Amino acid sequence: MPTADCRFQIGNRQLAIGNSMNRGLNRFAILVACATFFLIIAGALVTSNDAGLATSDWPLSNGQFLPPMVGNLFWEHGHRMVATTVGILTIALAVYIRVKEKREWVWKLALFALIAVIAQGLLGALTVKLLLPLAVSAAHATLAQLFFCTTVSLAVFTSRSWIEARPVSEVEGVLPLRYLCTAALLTIFVQLILGATLRHSAGWDKQLPVELIVAHIIGAVAVTLALGSAALATLRRHKGVTFLTRPAVIALSLLVVQLVLGVTAYLTRLRSPNDPQPLNPMISITVAHVACGALVFVTTIVLTLRTYRVSKELKVTRWKSSQSIYAHQQ
Amino acid sequence: MNKQTRVWLVLSIALSLLALGNACSKETTNKNGGTTETAAGPYSGPTGAIAGVISFSGTPPAPRKIDTSADPVCGQKSPNLMTDDTVVTDGKLANVFVYIKDGTAEGGKKVGDYTWAVPTSAVVLDQNGCHYKPHVLGIQVNQKLSVTNSDQTTHNIHPTPALNKEWNQTQAVGAAPIEQTFTRPETLIPVKCNQHPWMKAYIGVMKHPFYAVSAENGTFEIKNVPAGKYTVVAWKEGGAKGTEKTMEVTVPANGSGKADFTFEGGAATTSISPSLQMMPALELPSMAGKH
Repeated sequence: MPTADCRFQIGNRQLAIGNSMNRGLNRFAILVACATFFLIIAGALVTSNDAGLATSDWPLSNGQFLPPMVGNLFWEHGHRMVATTVGILTIALAVYIRVKEKREWVWKLALFALIAVIAQGLLGALTVKLLLPLAVSAAHATLAQLFFCTTVSLAVFTSRSWIEARPVSEVEGVLPLRYLCTAALLTIFVQLILGATLRHSAGWDKQLPVELIVAHIIGAVAVTLALGSAALATLRRHKGVTFLTRPAVIALSLLVVQLVLGVTAYLTRLRSPNDPQPLNPMISITVAHVACGALVFVTTIVLTLRTYRVSKELKVTRWKSSQSIYAHQQ
Repeated sequence: MNKQTRVWLVLSIALSLLALGNACSKETTNKNGGTTETAAGPYSGPTGAIAGVISFSGTPPAPRKIDTSADPVCGQKSPNLMTDDTVVTDGKLANVFVYIKDGTAEGGKKVGDYTWAVPTSAVVLDQNGCHYKPHVLGIQVNQKLSVTNSDQTTHNIHPTPALNKEWNQTQAVGAAPIEQTFTRPETLIPVKCNQHPWMKAYIGVMKHPFYAVSAENGTFEIKNVPAGKYTVVAWKEGGAKGTEKTMEVTVPANGSGKADFTFEGGAATTSISPSLQMMPALELPSMAGKH
């Protein structure tokens, strides 16, 4: 049901703000984003349980569509089932957007999500067929985060708050907030790649390479500085603008949780080579660290998109004002 | 397609190509020198043996209970499965792989320069009770390894060598034995089952037949060794690459060279430099009068 009116229509160019909100589409996009988050947790469980090669088949498991879900096959085949569901949901979302969404670029983003989920499935196949080479496994884990980022972005773009966003004024003479947020986002993305590489560089029964651990710790410091700066600047400059402060507060809170999880994950991982098999708390804490990292990433994406959104509003408003002035002069 | 979408698309494609390229260029360099050296033919001179006992000093680590509940078949067949990385009985250590690493036979040639016949019989690795039996085994290059499944559940066999080709094969209930060979010498190749991650075995792949695995009473014997002087290594699992101890042993013709090794408790996590591992009780039997 349309809930927002078209406020700006400039020539033949249809602006994002000139679109109306479709509540059903937004809810479905949120569902897909939540399913993707669940998929990331399922994937992390595969890695922590060392279940990636529990079967040498792909896409079937041991030649079966529904094999006995015992041992590590539970995690590996379970991951495949969740992935298949997310793939189907992504197709449905793309179709839904094609039918209901007027903004062409949203459709293109949905198309990208579809391509990404297919590529992700193929990377998953490569990890099995090539016996978990580090580069493929790390790429699989990284693309998972990018795909999650895409589905969350689609949920953001179809939301009421996005469509009804009002422009906000930036403080002059300081680095624009959107640049701070973009820097934080890129730093987190690099950290995610480092984390994925670290995680897949050694199994639970081997120690992790020291150089990658050091790189990941340095990355954590960089993320803390970058995201901390962006979030605090948001809170300081836009006090009361919940459209911006809410994701900033959530991102900061998640960052604190993530740092604690990172330290505990490292400590439990140090001990795991002495264990007879992958055990808790190593499994649950490392999975939580992956999941929380994904949440930090997507919350920062929401914050970044929203800062661009209100900045864009500001530009449009100024342009509109100049048009009005021009019309008056005519 | 907007700029942001294009950037993401290019990035993901680049990552995928990078990953694929790296995976396809996996190195398989033979660090043991490969098989290019000229063979000296079969050895036909006098032979002896190497025998010894593997001891364990100090308090051995207590075996840890394995949780087999993830697979009901394993839980029923092996409800009290324990780790067997350090099996000590009366101070004697089992599952130690002892082999000739290097050395010169009486003819003046290196033991690795001779051609050693590959046994026609296969070495069997059985999966029984969600447990590999034996836990440590030796095999010659190009000798058949036959992997059997005695369990009513599916296993997958996954050796993770550094020099040989890695493979991962599923073996269903009642399936025919999986037969594979290793084409390069390598000590030792870890074998795991990704279906049941507690299952571990180690395979020593040798160019020659001079290796043995210590029994439960710690004893071992390597027979038909060409008379000569050798560097003998005892390898015990633990840590990233296991622990090695090295000893120089002289094998007399028709006699036996003694090679007793002692592993210490708590030393299983780091590899010890061979120069620090010479046993003080080293015994080099005289070769005089034994030809």
